[in-house]
Amino acid sequence: MRALFLCYRGNPFCGGQGVYLYYLTRELAKLGVEIDVIVGPPYPEPMEKWARVYRTENLNIWSIRTEHFGYEKLARVLSPMNFVDYLLTRFHAFPEMETFSMRAFNLTRKLLKERHYDIIHDVQCLGWGLLPMKGFGMPIVTTVHHPLTKDREADFIRDKSFWEYATTVLFYPLGMQRIVINRLDRVVTSSMEGVDELEKAFGLKRDKISVVYNGLDVEVFSNGGEKRGENTLLFVGNTEDYKKGTRYLLEALSLLPKKVKLTIVDEGPPKRLSAYELAKRFGVEDRVTFTGKVSMAALVHLYCTATLVVVSSLHEGFGLPAAEGMACETPVVSTTSGALKEVMKHGETGLLVPPKDPRAMADAIMQLLSNKKLREKMGKAGRKRAVENFSWPVAAKNTLDVYRRTIDEYRSNR
Amino acid sequence: MPRAKIYGYIALLVSTALAALFFYYSFYGPVAGGLFSALAADYAYYAVAVPLGLLVFIVLGTGFWIGWTILTIKVAPPMPEIVEKKDYAKPKALLLCLATLALMALFAYGVYLKSYWALAVPAAAFTLVVLGMVFWVGLAIITTRATLPDGKK
Repeated sequence: MRALFLCYRGNPFCGGQGVYLYYLTRELAKLGVEIDVIVGPPYPEPMEKWARVYRTENLNIWSIRTEHFGYEKLARVLSPMNFVDYLLTRFHAFPEMETFSMRAFNLTRKLLKERHYDIIHDVQCLGWGLLPMKGFGMPIVTTVHHPLTKDREADFIRDKSFWEYATTVLFYPLGMQRIVINRLDRVVTSSMEGVDELEKAFGLKRDKISVVYNGLDVEVFSNGGEKRGENTLLFVGNTEDYKKGTRYLLEALSLLPKKVKLTIVDEGPPKRLSAYELAKRFGVEDRVTFTGKVSMAALVHLYCTATLVVVSSLHEGFGLPAAEGMACETPVVSTTSGALKEVMKHGETGLLVPPKDPRAMADAIMQLLSNKKLREKMGKAGRKRAVENFSWPVAAKNTLDVYRRTIDEYRSNR
Repeated sequence: MPRAKIYGYIALLVSTALAALFFYYSFYGPVAGGLFSALAADYAYYAVAVPLGLLVFIVLGTGFWIGWTILTIKVAPPMPEIVEKKDYAKPKALLLCLATLALMALFAYGVYLKSYWALAVPAAAFTLVVLGMVFWVGLAIITTRATLPDGKK
């Protein structure tokens, strides 16, 4: 089988889709799938060992003023597709998905003169260019971890002025995504919660959606026997993102004994002030440490040495920090939001509490901090669950099953 | 034949037919004069008004949609630390909706009267926006250093 992947941003450090592209294609290749990838910048880590990679252009000029582009980008702005990109970004739209999909369409048309594909796999682009691709005579699947409506809602909550609201409306290409997603052959999402969200956001029929849990590298995220700290909580996530519920976590921390400390894997002051300001408000600023950006090895070390991982999200398409914590044998206290209740198993791999309930979160944290044996038991169970359900080989095997079913359905309907 | 291919053929035929009609009525008709003298001017006017009108309605429709979306936002209550919103976003959104609707009505009325200005004003706006952007990029290219000054690494 040969699959063509489309991903508008391929770098693993620029978002989940880059991580997804890198690991899923690697594992699919191990299962015998020939992989070609059309990818936009920032480009992925080298993948040439298991895939043919075709890089498309994109200037990434959203929110950059024209005079700050630099000569190299300015010299390229006047090409037709880049000018469309330029024109729309000046009106605060985010046209990267549209222009990438059109470029991918043109490139695929050229590739098809020499190569044959059984399936096209789009990674949450849903641009206009996918519609003419239906004429290529092969099924198209797309992966959407969560619809952009969730991000837009979060932005609306933070927006304070008419101008901010208006630019938020313009930024998200929801109209395009709604039209495109309903015309693709299958949609893959990473949780049962995601099925409900896609149905609600895009009016997508449930029988067109398949659930394949996200993967993580369980070899990298594993416990090497490091000495675990006592009373140390670990939070991994963007503290500026309202959906992460940092405010409720910091309030929960204020309800816990002073010996309990919190490490946040994100930038703190002076670059990011929201969480620090909140910590000051709750009087816990001296108990919170910001690590800034850390390497993968350092992140694994943090997971392995923390007493507990805490996830305070108000919504999660999957909840990678919970799964990573579990893979590192660290029990997790998490909210029941989004897919977290599927990733976690209450009472087995950690404890689940309602979102926006600092008291419940503090109680659950205390319950685990005061019971080392229970923590160890939960840590082992978490590792087992992560390996069995959330490893990339499992995700690849399940994705391949989706490919086979989609191709069969497509060919039988022709 | 796959359904997508059928749509492809339909798109091809419809766009070609529309392009032919556009060029015929906007250029050939007025020039040929005699044969179409009674209706040639009308057809020429509408050949320009229809595509331009589509563009006008898309742009004004986008403005209306922005206002409407802001008016109908339903999200969870804001976080306690988010200050009360005092920007009058909703009244401004209502104003945007009314203004875009009024402009759409004005444009439609102008086209109904076959007014020259109904076409000239939006055409000028679109042209100036695109040309203005090209001008701005050109200016930025001219005034941006292609290389670092001597002696700087």
